This record gives sequence, C-alpha cells and structure tokens, in this order.
Amino acid sequence: MLELKDVRKVHEGKARVVALDGVSLSIGDGEMVAVMGPSGSGKSTLLNLMGGLDVPTSGALLVAGADLASKSEEERSLFRRTHVSYVFQAYHLMPTLTAAQNVELPLHLAGRPAAEARERALKTLAEVGLAARTTHLPDELSGGERQRVAIARALVTGAPLLLADEPTGNLDTARGEEILQLLKAIHAARQTTIVMVTHDPNAAAACERVVRFRDGRVVEDTRG
Amino acid sequence: MKFLLRTLSLSYVRRHRAKTALTLLGVVVGVATYVAVVGARGSLLGGIRETVDRMAGKAQLQLTQEGGVPEELQEAIRERPGIRAQSPVIEQVVVPERSELGSLLVLGVDLLGDREMRDYGFEGEDADLDDPLLFLAQADSVAVARPLAERAGLKTGDVLVLKLPAGPRSVTIRGLLTPKGFAEAFGGNLVVMDVYAAQELFGRGRRFDRLEVRLEEGVTLEAATASLRGVVPPNVKVETPDRRSAQMERLVANFAAGFDVTSGFALGLGAFLIYNAFSVAVNRRRRDIGTLRALGATPRQVQALFLLEALALGLAGSILGVLAGVGLTRAALDVMRQGAEQVYGVTASSEARLTLPLVLQGLALGLLASLVGAFAPSRAAAAVSPTEAFAKVVHQAGGAWSRRRVASGAALLAVTVAFGVRPPVSGMPMILSIVALGAFSALLVVGPVSHRLLAFGAPLVARLFPVAGRLASDALLSSPRRSAGTVTAMTLALTFAVGIGGYIEATTATLVRWMQDILTSDIYVRASANFARPDYRFAPEVKDDLLAVPGVRSVESYRAPRLEYRGETIVLASIEMEAMLDRTRHDWVEGSEEIARREVGRGGSCTVSDNFARKFDLGAGDVVELPGARGTVRFPIAAVVKDYTSDRGTVFVDRRTFLAAFEDDRVDVFDVNLSAGADAGKVRDAIRTKLQGRMPALVSTKREFVADVEKAIDAFYALMQVTLVLALAVGVLGIVTSLLISVVERTREIGLLKALGALGGQIRRSVALEALAISAAALVLSLPLGTLLALFVEKTVAVAFAGWSLPHETPWLLLGQLLVALPFLSAASAWVPARQAARTPVTEALEYE
Repeated sequence: MLELKDVRKVHEGKARVVALDGVSLSIGDGEMVAVMGPSGSGKSTLLNLMGGLDVPTSGALLVAGADLASKSEEERSLFRRTHVSYVFQAYHLMPTLTAAQNVELPLHLAGRPAAEARERALKTLAEVGLAARTTHLPDELSGGERQRVAIARALVTGAPLLLADEPTGNLDTARGEEILQLLKAIHAARQTTIVMVTHDPNAAAACERVVRFRDGRVVEDTRG
Repeated sequence: MKFLLRTLSLSYVRRHRAKTALTLLGVVVGVATYVAVVGARGSLLGGIRETVDRMAGKAQLQLTQEGGVPEELQEAIRERPGIRAQSPVIEQVVVPERSELGSLLVLGVDLLGDREMRDYGFEGEDADLDDPLLFLAQADSVAVARPLAERAGLKTGDVLVLKLPAGPRSVTIRGLLTPKGFAEAFGGNLVVMDVYAAQELFGRGRRFDRLEVRLEEGVTLEAATASLRGVVPPNVKVETPDRRSAQMERLVANFAAGFDVTSGFALGLGAFLIYNAFSVAVNRRRRDIGTLRALGATPRQVQALFLLEALALGLAGSILGVLAGVGLTRAALDVMRQGAEQVYGVTASSEARLTLPLVLQGLALGLLASLVGAFAPSRAAAAVSPTEAFAKVVHQAGGAWSRRRVASGAALLAVTVAFGVRPPVSGMPMILSIVALGAFSALLVVGPVSHRLLAFGAPLVARLFPVAGRLASDALLSSPRRSAGTVTAMTLALTFAVGIGGYIEATTATLVRWMQDILTSDIYVRASANFARPDYRFAPEVKDDLLAVPGVRSVESYRAPRLEYRGETIVLASIEMEAMLDRTRHDWVEGSEEIARREVGRGGSCTVSDNFARKFDLGAGDVVELPGARGTVRFPIAAVVKDYTSDRGTVFVDRRTFLAAFEDDRVDVFDVNLSAGADAGKVRDAIRTKLQGRMPALVSTKREFVADVEKAIDAFYALMQVTLVLALAVGVLGIVTSLLISVVERTREIGLLKALGALGGQIRRSVALEALAISAAALVLSLPLGTLLALFVEKTVAVAFAGWSLPHETPWLLLGQLLVALPFLSAASAWVPARQAARTPVTEALEYE
C-alpha cells in the first residue's frame, strides 16, 4: 500500500528544519501500523506525505502504486478522495453540520447523488454505533461520539488507506479504548490499511506493527 | 457544490449576520449609487432631449436668438414659400408657492394658431377648455396637465400662485390638458398660457423665446433653412429641435462627465468591501477549508465555493441596490438638474426614469464587482494547504515585497506623472486611463512603503503608550500584508479625498479670489436668479432710475449673451470697459490693462479669457468673428486675461462696441457703485422699493451676490462632495474589517496577554492605536499622491474640459478637517474589534488553533 524510499522533507523558513531525513518504509495492504516517537520526530509530517497533503523534498513515495510526489495538487486531491481517509485528534468536524451531514461531506465533494450520500452516511453512522445521533451537531456530542463521526466520515468513501493522527489523544482512557476497538473491528472487517500516529502505548499495542521515529529517522520497526 | 453552499456557506452567513450585512451593504451602496447616478445622468440628458422634442410637437425648425426673437420676425417668416405654419413660444421654469409640486414649466403659446404644432387634447368627449375666447380674454388664464391638477387637487377655476422675481403672481386654471404628447413634457408638470400673457408675466417685452416653424409637405429642411436664413438677421439661429437639444446636451457634458467618475468609484467601493469581507471569511474559515481539502476537495472546488458565495451575495446586494437606486435616482436627478439649470441654464424634465438596460447593467455590474472583489480571497482560499490549516501556529499571511515590485511601481508612477502632464489621448478615456494607471502604481508602491513607515513610527508609539503601543505595533508589523492592504485602501480613499477635495477647495478659493477682484461694485441688480439664462432683461433706462437713488455714484450695464462660436456656446460679456477697469484688478496673460483701456475701452477690440484663448488657440493680434445683428462682426484680440466667467470661454467688449454690433441695448445686471459713506443695505432697500412692482429685480449687496455665486459653485460640486464622503466611508470600513482579522489572528496571543494580566482597557487601546496608526500612515502617504491627483485635475483635466489651468493650492481647510476627523473615525472603526478583543475568554483563546 505504501512505499517510501529515502524520503526527505525539509521545511525552509527562518530556520531550516529537517522533518524527515531519509526515511525508507514499506507498509503492506491491510496492515495496521502505529507510528510513535517524541514531539518533532517527524510523525505528523510522515502522515501528511502519505495522505498527499504535502510532498517530499526528495525521495520516492508510492501510495497504492501512485507516485504522489509527481502529481499536481489537484490530482492529489482527486486521489485522496478515493484512496485516503483521515481521522484527526481534534476531530475537525464542521461545527455547523449535523453528524449525518459531516459524514456525507466527502461524498458530496466526489459528486455523488444526494440521496446516495445520505443513505451511505446513515448506514456508516449505524456501523459506528451512532444511528440515534445522526441529526446532532458536533457540539451536542461527547468527545468519543465526535471521534466516531470522524471515523464514519473516513469510512464512508470506502478508501483503502486510513490515516489517523492521535485518534485517542483528546479522549479519556475508556473512550480511547472504545475508539481503538472500533478501529480494530473496521480493520478486521474491511481489511483497511490503517496508519496511526500516536503517543499512547495502549493504541500502539492495538496495532500489529510499531514504527518508532527519532529526529526524522526510523529507529525501530517491530511487529507484534 | 449545492450541498456545500446550503450547509457550510449558509451557516457561516447565519453565524456572522452583522458581517454579512456589512458586505451586503457594500454591494448595495455600490449598485445603488451606480444606478442612481447613471440613471439620473441619463434622465437629465434624456429629459433635455425629451423636453425639447415634446415641446417642439410637429415643429420642424426652430428660430432662436440670444435675448429673444423680436415679434416682427413673424411677418417675414410667414410670407416665405413652403412654410405651412409658424408659432411663437415662451418657455419659463417657475416654482409655485406650493413648493411640494416641484418646478413647473410654463409654456406660452398662441392658442389659436398653435394647433398646427401641438395637440392640446381640448377637443373631443373629454374637452376641458370650455370657452377659448374667455381663456384668451383673461390674461391670468392657464391650462394645466390633468395629472398635475389631480396631484395638486386643483380644478378649473382654482388659483395657482407662482413665485416670480417681481413677486408672487396668481394665475387661474381655465383648462385641463390631456396627458399625451407635449403635455407629458417636463414630467407632466406643465402649465400652458397665452404667449402674449406670458410675455407680460415674465417681462419678455416684445420678444419671444423662439419661433417654431412647420413646413409644407415635400419641402426639405435644407431648402426651408436656406429660405429662412435669407430673411432673418445673422444672429438668429435656424435649427432643428434635434440639433438644439444636442447643443444643450453638449453644454452640460462637462458637468455630467464628473458623474462617470462617481459611479465608477461607487462600484469600486462595492468590490473593495467584498474583497475585505471575503478576506476575513477565508481567514476565519481556514480550518474548515483545510478539512475540506483533507477530505478530497480540490483547490478549484474551494475557489468555486467562495466565488459562488460571492455571486449569491452579489445577486442579493445587486437586487437591493437596484431597488435602493430607484429611490435615490430622484434625489440625484434633483441635484443634477438644479446644477444644470443654475450653472448652464438648461431645462430638463424632473422625471426620473430607469430603463431596463440600466437595471440589468446595475445587476450585472454588481455581480461583476462581487466576483472581482472575491477573486483574490477565493484564490487565497484555494491555496490554503491543509497542513498549514491544521498547524497549531495561527496563519498570518505575509512576507517581504520584492524589490522588482517596488521598482516597477515607482517606474509606473513616473510614467503616470509623465502622461498626466502630457496626456497621449484626450477626453474621458484620458482621465480614466491615467487614474487607473495611477491607482495601479500606487497599489504596487504603497504597501511596501507603508510597512517601512509603520516600522519607523513603531518606537515612538511604544514610547508614548508602553503597553498598548507595543501591542499595536507588533500586531501591525507581524502581519505586513494585511496591514499594508488596509493602509493601501485607506491611502487610496484619502488620496481621492485630498485630490478631489483639494481641487474643489483650490477652485473655490481661486474663484472667490477672482470674484473679490472683479465683483467690486457695492450693489448688483439682476432680473433673474439664473446666472446662465436670464429670464428677463432690463431696459437701458433703468440705469437712470438707479442713478437717481440717493447714495448711488455710478452704474455700469452688464450684458452677457451666449453665442455660438466654432460649435461651442461661449459668453460675450459687455460692460463699460474703462469704468469697470477703474474698480477691478485683473491678471493679464497677454497684453495689459493699459492696452485693454486703449484698444477695448476706446478702440472696438476685445479681450478674451485665458480658457477661450487656449481652447481656440488664439492670442493677442488674432481676430474673433461673431454673428452680429447685421452680419459677421470682427473683434481683434487686444489682450488675454485670466477669467472664470464661463467654462466655455468668454469674450469681453466695451458696451458701446456691443450696442453697435448687436443692436441690443437691454441689460442683464446693473453694477451699482456707491458714494463714499453711503450704506449699502439702505441703498439696496431704496432700489428695491423703487423697482418693486415695475419689473422683476433681485437687488443684492456685494456680499449677498457673492454668496449666491458661491451657492452655484457648491451646487456644481454637490455630488462630488458626496463621493468624497463615500471614499472615506470605504476607508473606514476597510479598517474595521482589517482589525477584525487582526483580532481573530491574535486570539491566542490576546488570551495569553490576558492570562499574564493585561487589562481589557489595554487590549482595547492597542486595537484603537492600530486603527490610528493605519490612518496616520495612510494620511502621510496620501498627501503626495493626493497632491499629484489634484495637480492632474487642475492642470490637465481642467485644461482639457474647460481650458483652465487652475493654480494649485494646499487644501489647508480639508487637511485640518481630516486631522480632526481621522482620530475620531479611527476610534469609531476600532470600537467593535476592540470590544471583541477585550471580551476574548482566556481559556478559549488559549485553546484556539
């Protein structure tokens, strides 16, 4: 699913920051991988590159066989629609849209008919246990419920790659555990490739493989 | 996209109702001003054409003469072959005592003979003129258009009181006109009376305003014109109604051209407010945009979303703007119509009409302005990178400006100045292209320079206000693009204010100074309030009456007909030259006072105004040829003098020369000079008493007369001054939106400051200081740019349109007003953002991303 060869990412600015320094990594289809490391080690940059939100300064990056670095921003957006989905620590739900509307959003962006978008959104919300909360605004939901909506939004397009950035970071232990179980269930049921950036050892333990970063390099790659 | 508009965009509007209303207001103001100004301008010009056309009826030719056509000309015309009918006309705009009815156009016609020209609708089943002979037998008889009668609640037999210079006069309604054809002229505010009664009522003596001619079938206009020219004196014009209206339209062209700038500016204002509002929106919705992008929205989709929002807002604003414009057109037309009548003596209908093309144009331009305004912010939205949007550091657009930008801006400014001094094209295209070039070069230069200026002033502000000053400086300097954008907008607004306001102030000062040099008599006796088209002229004998009033030392007789010269309507001013030179001071461009005394006062030559000389490329030694009573008269130019009597040019001759050449001894104005020690007020009252009831006479002291002239100047510039206020309003709105962005961008910083102990007052003061710094920087930058604009208008535009090169003066009064007003405007514009900043909850602010 993912192939990184000697990927470097350098942020130019007042101070030059090397976020990734020659990372080579291969993640197969259907793997569930945790990426760990201290702040500033390059984890989030890696996730941005995998999702095509950013491009490497040098090196090769293949996602589902596609060389994202060679694609234009427009092409990367179109690629993201069908191949990549995101779950963020801060949920990033649209505050004025209901749970169902938030889940529908990527389908509307992809130009799916409104009725189909609505039907798929409701079905996916039911899958994550929120059938009764479809008309609620994010403000009216708990942290755990918000993250479930975000997960539903990630699943609704059927993208084979799910990138999660600290999905349990804003939740208490019990809610965090629920989210991890949900992700595991999805992984098992759909064979979705999941890459999860986390500081949480519990979250890492839920994954089949743990990749550790330090100073923009892979320092450990273990399979559980 | 429909889903996004319905959900995301609409919810943003709902959450930011006040800001949306402000943006909408920008489009509404822009479109309304455009529709009102262009609609009023069209109504003014159309009204001139329509009034002339409708009043002309079936007349194919019109004979006019400056000062009126003598009665005896009727006989000569009647006998010419090919003439089916001729009819005399007197036309006078009057104000009724019931001023709510608006101005009325009184048409004096020969009711028995005029049916060949106009259909009065008296006949038939709805006949409203019971007894034509009774109508004619009583000199106070009038017929009014039926809609006017209905509106005024008047019926046959009722009395209508008209305010005339000689005092109020009553007329009796003895007929009603069917509202069709000519009775619809002047918006239906029409009163018809017998032409001889009108002669008496309006003091026309034995003259008519014009003679109208209808031709036999098969007679060509050319043949009839040639035939008539054979029997009328050379100073009588024979022309078609079309040509007459075209000439009147040309006369007010300068006046109307100024409004193009106003309407263009209004639309620019709308676009600017949209730009500001969308810049705020993009900044506020950065995270939402980032999320959309992460979910697969393409940059193009994001841009389309913002442009569609602008389109929706533009459509709503344009519809409201057109509706508001319809309401404002009447007011704008009243201002223009009064200006055209007061300054040029041109009569137009007071009916404001909006055409479908104008309404569509207003809607289209409103939409276009919205799209233009939203384009750059929508591109900025499309360029939002999701990684930046989710970063925990708040985005601040900015960066250094390239040297190339500054250099090209400076070069372009130099080119603008060069073109401004020697324009490569003429007319309105010249003005618009040079103003556009200047504005573009200013956009390139002002941003970087303003940043330097703010950086330069920062230590001083920090010293004066240690906490709030430092916060304000940091806010402005840490976001250079935003600060520069706001300073640029305010600079452009102030440049417009300093340039155009400065031009108005300099022109007015020049005219006032000139009037002080020229209007040195103690009392002025006029027959008409209208400077450009006197309705009544005094008999020369009135001079003896005036000389007999105790305290009067001498009287000069001023007569200034408007004549056609090389296709332009110029003024031929005549007065007792030597007596006038004794009491006045002139600025001679060529020749001297001594030459003027010798050759104009005693020798039959003329002096010409500098704008006349410039327009027609004439100077001392050349000859001016004008149509006299018995053929072309030739006046050698003895001198050229700076003069502001007419924007079309003025030729001055001695009264004796004038009498010999034009055989017209009537007088427009008597300049009365008093003996030493005589009280001007008392002599004025004595003259009023003496002339009262005998003739219309406006008797004013010098001060009153000058005040009247100043009122006419104010009327000329009235709409331009409204534009200046609009310009400042745009600048202030720019500051408000910029400060709102600043507060949003610094939410976390403000929260942190409050957590560290900053008080609400300190935060509020820092925002107010930001506004003040923006205004101060803009004022400093607008001074040189505004001066350049004023110089361009005074030296190039005024020369191109009126032939005047006006002396530049620093507009101290305006600058003083700005210096006083700007701190208040800044404080007012900072009020809402400052309150928002001070109320920021600390905990929320610290979590703000």
